Amino acid sequence: MELLSVFDNLLYGLGVAMTPANLTVALAGLILGTAIGVLPGLGGTNGVALLLPLTFHLTPTAAIILLASVYWGALFGGAITSILFNIPGEPWSVATTFDGHPLAQQGKPGIALTAAFTSSFLGAAVAIFLFTFFAPPLAEWALKFGPPENFAVLLLAFATFTGLGGGDPAKTIFMTLFGLLLSTVGFDIVSGAPRLNFGFIELQSGVNFIVIAIGLFGLGEIFLTVEEGLRLRGVPGRVGFRDLWETWKMLPRFWVTIVRGTILGFWIGVLPGTGATPASFMSYGLAKQFSKHPERFGKGEVEGVVAPEVAAHAAGIGALLPMITLGIPGSPTAAVMLAGFFIWGLNPGALLFQTQREFVWGLIGSMYITNVLGVLIVLTLVPLFAAINRIPFGILAPLIVILSSIGAFAVNNQVLDLWIMLGSGVAGYIFRKLKYPLAPLVVALVLGDMTEQALRQSLIMGQGSPAIFITRPIALVFMAASLFLFLLPLIRGLRKGRRQPPIPQPATAE
Amino acid sequence: MRRADTAVAAVLFIGALVLIRESLRLPVSWTSIGPGAGFVPFWLSVGVAIQGALILVRSLRVPAPSGRAAPFVERRSFKPLLIAFLPMAAVIAAIDYLGLYLGGAVYLAGYMVFVGRHHWVTVILVTILLPLALFFIFERWFLLPMPKGLLLEYLLYGR
Repeated sequence: MELLSVFDNLLYGLGVAMTPANLTVALAGLILGTAIGVLPGLGGTNGVALLLPLTFHLTPTAAIILLASVYWGALFGGAITSILFNIPGEPWSVATTFDGHPLAQQGKPGIALTAAFTSSFLGAAVAIFLFTFFAPPLAEWALKFGPPENFAVLLLAFATFTGLGGGDPAKTIFMTLFGLLLSTVGFDIVSGAPRLNFGFIELQSGVNFIVIAIGLFGLGEIFLTVEEGLRLRGVPGRVGFRDLWETWKMLPRFWVTIVRGTILGFWIGVLPGTGATPASFMSYGLAKQFSKHPERFGKGEVEGVVAPEVAAHAAGIGALLPMITLGIPGSPTAAVMLAGFFIWGLNPGALLFQTQREFVWGLIGSMYITNVLGVLIVLTLVPLFAAINRIPFGILAPLIVILSSIGAFAVNNQVLDLWIMLGSGVAGYIFRKLKYPLAPLVVALVLGDMTEQALRQSLIMGQGSPAIFITRPIALVFMAASLFLFLLPLIRGLRKGRRQPPIPQPATAE
Repeated sequence: MRRADTAVAAVLFIGALVLIRESLRLPVSWTSIGPGAGFVPFWLSVGVAIQGALILVRSLRVPAPSGRAAPFVERRSFKPLLIAFLPMAAVIAAIDYLGLYLGGAVYLAGYMVFVGRHHWVTVILVTILLPLALFFIFERWFLLPMPKGLLLEYLLYGR
């Protein structure tokens, strides 16, 4: 019965996604997203944020399909530059450079690209399947949540950053609190009092999340790229039928890596704040560890391309699961999409499954379709996308700056937002250099209002006593889990006997 | 890099103190409608201050690296960074007069000349065509009104 209704809904969703309008939007999103993924200095998070103002005129379903397609496209696109140029277009494709670029240098770019795209496709396909069957029951369960449960889940989301984010715990907690604090700027929802606006009328409506995201991820990235100086020396690449045949013959051998990477990626993606990037690194590390020839890794091992790519795509899909069921984004890009929900007049959360059937199932249906379309597009158009990288950085950098300004201004039509964007850009640059993680800040900023509301409603329910969080069983479980995750870095430190330096991670956005 | 860490932590800590003061202007305790408007901002800014202090103290306890420390920004990267940043700030400051399209064109031209070192024909072509394309995409197609500045306002609407 339950299962039947899932199939029913899925068929309906596929129908929604196949309407000519939605199909066009998905196709445009994929191509745009792949281009965004290929371009250095323009990331998936920023790309989605920039496109958000353009969705004002679309229906919510078309809008979410567009943004999701951009995200999938960016996941594909990142691999192209990693393999051909040794420059990861996206943080999640850093691990793809390790073996992908050596393969390209050995004259086998076609094989590396085919392996990357096919394994992305496989990882995403399995993850979409898991998504379809996990999401409805999760949403149904979440419907029973009251304010205390909601607050506890949100707290758990923030705790996962600290416990599993891999960054410096002190800086992670700092960024989480700071993000929450920024979200309180503006009118108080309950009393209507303006808060923390320092007398600026423009700040009374609050600091806009999209403006901050564009600054942090867009301009911050530009500053970093400018500093490092961009040099492109690529290997020309195209995919021929022989490459397809040769690679596909090889892939069954890596089935363990594929299955492990998919499950790992999906799970890491579902956890809030840990997106595709850590998933790709972990999957690569595990593949190397369990390989019979670990010494071949880093020198052009096809399995080293497969492992990060399956995990990254599975994580990208997984990140949308908590977003659509609980209203908690699983990655910064998902956080930007969630900000869109409010703009399109939707309330994220468990109720979406009941009230917005077209939106939810249209999105799920479009995942199936865009995954197939995406792999076909990238396989055939590789040379075209690689050519995008010929755009000189002297034109690309100012173009991205102009696009960022347009995106930031369009949100509220106020000049102050341009200054906020610029400030966030400088802050993003400094934060990334000093290894302050950006993901918790962004996610906390989006979830701030919800968190505060849940907290205050719970306290009112409990007549001011915080005991309400531990007397309700579901809330108690989440609270205990959050506490454990918050203390995890401390526990790890004690077990190692001395203070460990934070796990080195690349300065990643996601 | 260590000094930069300390300096940034200090700035963040002071910022948090300012925010504590700002949130204290609102009721922070229990009111007739539950927790007051300042309740959440106050405790959050206290938390931010504590974390900031923690990061600050810890950065001071890290032993100074032996030999020449890696600077926060390499000397040779300073110039490109400023070339990217300062004109950006200048254009935003003058946005009421220049507008986004004209301002963007000026920024683009400057960047292409001083960083990209493109041929002047390319510079002129790109700085005219690109903002024009953006204008039609955003202003006409997506109907997003951008600041147009005095000149463009005059040309378009005659005011």
